[in-house]
Amino acid sequence: MSSKKLLAVVLVGALGAAACGANDQKPSGDAAAKPDKGGTLRVLSESRTLNFDPAKSQSLAITTLGLVHRRLTGWQNAVGQPAKVVPDLGDTGKTTDGGRTWTFVLQDGLKFSDGTPITSADVKWGVERSFAPAFGGGLGYHKDLLGGADYKGPFEGKELDSIETPDPKTITFKLTRPYGDWPWIASTPAFAPVPKGKGAEPDYQEHAIASGPYQIQTYTKGVEVKLSRNPNWDGSKDQVRAGLPDEVVFQLGQDASVVSQRLAADSGDDQFAFGASFASPAQLAQLQANASAKSRVVTSKSGAVAYVALNTQKAPLNDVKVRQAFQYAVNRSAYQIASAGTAALAGDAATTLITQGIEGREQFDLYPSKPEGDPDKAKALLAEAGFPNGLENLSLVLNKSNNQTEKAEAIQAALARANIKVTLRTLEADAFETETNLSENPTYDLTLSSWQPDFPSANANIQPLFATSEIGKGGYNISRYSNPEVDKLIEEAQSTVDPAEAGKKWAAIDKRILQDSPVVPLIYTRNSFIHGSKVGNFFIADFPAYPNYLQVGISK
Amino acid sequence: MSTPVARSVPAAIRSVLARDRWALAGTVTVVVIGLVAIFADVLTAIEGHDPYTYDATALDPATGLPAGSFGGISAEHWFGVEPLTGRDLFAIVVHGARTSFLIGLAATVVSIALGLLIGAAAGYLGGWADRVITWTADVFLGFPYLVFMIALGAVVPAEFPRALLLIVVIGFFGWPSTARIVRAQVLTLKDRNFVKAARVLGASPWQIFRTELLPNLWGPVLVMATLSVPGKIGLEAALSFLGVGVLPPTPSWGRSISAAIDWVQVDPVYLLIPGLALFAVTWGFNALGDGLRDALDPKSVTKR
Repeated sequence: MSSKKLLAVVLVGALGAAACGANDQKPSGDAAAKPDKGGTLRVLSESRTLNFDPAKSQSLAITTLGLVHRRLTGWQNAVGQPAKVVPDLGDTGKTTDGGRTWTFVLQDGLKFSDGTPITSADVKWGVERSFAPAFGGGLGYHKDLLGGADYKGPFEGKELDSIETPDPKTITFKLTRPYGDWPWIASTPAFAPVPKGKGAEPDYQEHAIASGPYQIQTYTKGVEVKLSRNPNWDGSKDQVRAGLPDEVVFQLGQDASVVSQRLAADSGDDQFAFGASFASPAQLAQLQANASAKSRVVTSKSGAVAYVALNTQKAPLNDVKVRQAFQYAVNRSAYQIASAGTAALAGDAATTLITQGIEGREQFDLYPSKPEGDPDKAKALLAEAGFPNGLENLSLVLNKSNNQTEKAEAIQAALARANIKVTLRTLEADAFETETNLSENPTYDLTLSSWQPDFPSANANIQPLFATSEIGKGGYNISRYSNPEVDKLIEEAQSTVDPAEAGKKWAAIDKRILQDSPVVPLIYTRNSFIHGSKVGNFFIADFPAYPNYLQVGISK
Repeated sequence: MSTPVARSVPAAIRSVLARDRWALAGTVTVVVIGLVAIFADVLTAIEGHDPYTYDATALDPATGLPAGSFGGISAEHWFGVEPLTGRDLFAIVVHGARTSFLIGLAATVVSIALGLLIGAAAGYLGGWADRVITWTADVFLGFPYLVFMIALGAVVPAEFPRALLLIVVIGFFGWPSTARIVRAQVLTLKDRNFVKAARVLGASPWQIFRTELLPNLWGPVLVMATLSVPGKIGLEAALSFLGVGVLPPTPSWGRSISAAIDWVQVDPVYLLIPGLALFAVTWGFNALGDGLRDALDPKSVTKR
């Protein structure tokens, strides 16, 4: 895809009425000025660390990690086009036995930043490295499928037998069961190459050897990371990265509201910068009042599904009638306002588990009601379930670092209308994870969460949240939903190679799960970002709801 | 056995209110906000809103800010509304006064009672008891109690009533300053003849504390209490500001101020109103306390 195609459209929120007319597909205003090669792009980030170790990373294929590392496959990520697997280091994979064995062929003449050629053995080494306990924490969709339950990484001298590299250009994965989404899995961070035998040191993330357009020039912990051009990257062999700026500088540990104000003021170096975190409701309200800043806010069309998870293993929420009452008790309209001030900036009300923009998604609503909910119907359902006086003392746990108090208060107030009394309990990030993701016997009744699939397949929407295997032990099935019938359906859908056929199966599973009401979908959360006036080609495609860092450039 | 000082407390209050305009203004402020706290339900019923109900119609549909100017102040919403929720700010501030007064006054009672007992024990018993108490008080005065309270707020189970926790914790950390003053006062009192006489007649330490010492301590204790209330109210607000105070949806000035900081550029009224309420109460108690001290403490009177 040529970068020219991409630069035209900049979404200025869902507010089609944006003053500069940014929806008319022409470069307009500062926001969509054509970027050139060269210049220094700045990224203002709230986080204090930046991880460039692919084994430890959960990064999407189009953000930070993608600037430095290529992966076996990449994502087509452009406005108005569906997310699709496209070749990156290798092709998009072939299977001859219905999805159990997958073979990828690498392009010719690929080189690391140190000048050594990139071979299939380096990709294999990178995947093996992700099994080492010292390099945990990254996306691990591949681990079970490669039969690595007992494998402890390559540093103990053992290879992973399920990956074969018959020649330097070919890599074959032998999976434990048929898996149609394997080409997507090959786009996750662990499939970035690491030179065979290297990367044993724990601080590899600070000087990782690059395969992408940039290499790490300086890494100052908590302050700044500077990326400079990788002289051995060949743009003609990379269809997912434009590599426009000469330098990319990440400024770490920035306060989000200060970032928002700096970018709104648009002076000095900030003209060449964008903010990596979402603009908060207060910041959005402030940006609305500033015409120049407003034209530089980019809002995604859709995004992660925000939901209330109901702990299905704890009374009284182990009763499906009680859980269904919650579907009517919530007030999606109040939640939208609490999230972003207006429904247009917050995102559409959600009634399905599969997010918008995912192949096979079907729109349905098993519990139709008004946007404000239907407390009377909720009360009636509770009465049927034997709780005519409502529910008392339910505990709603929140993760402090997610800043959800306003949203949780909106849920609390909405549930109170149906006589469901909820106490908010805010936990530090670690304590929250222990309670929701690790604990065997958690005490929470409800929690507020949102889920953005790690790759654009309904599989990544559903399996991590609703498979029995994902309860506790670090999994994300925080509604603790366990249904053998659904588990079987998930496995069937996963083994389907044809995307259209798999999509239909996933849509059916979506409905089946919501009949049991383990979660209450709230909205498909739109994310808003702001950038400086000299940042060009800053867009958010249909999936994921993040800007594509790989295509951004500086305009003169 | 009553002494002249004790009898003069009500008289001192009367005289200070008559003489000192600032003290009078402070008293009026405290009384008015106190009445507001007591009659919060009546006042919000008159206005017609409660502090819990969301109202999207009171918001600007384009931004989530209060509809209308000055934070949505109108005949309908006297102090405007909260952005993003449309909850009535008057109801929130009025019910927040209740939270602040309840916690501030109750914590003061706890800390003064503790300080009085511990300080009197140290001063009267002397010896090792005095040394241990003085050291402990020094440790507590240097203790990073805010950090401790934040930690405690995070680990105490949600079922434990938050207001009670705050009263106990804020009250507990307030005793050393009171104890020091009471100890110094008792040290001079215990060598006075009326105390010696009671001791010779066989009165127990508890009897002496109650009948001989206490009546002479009311003056300084009252000053201490009045001056420490605003600190306690401020501490409650600070803890709520930091997210470990009273839990939502119970209104709290500190939490409102914390939430309003993000909005100050676009909706300053949201910060201004709870901020002014907190300011008025702390100022009121301070002005009253200063006046009382001038009236009751001979040293500061001579300075005038």
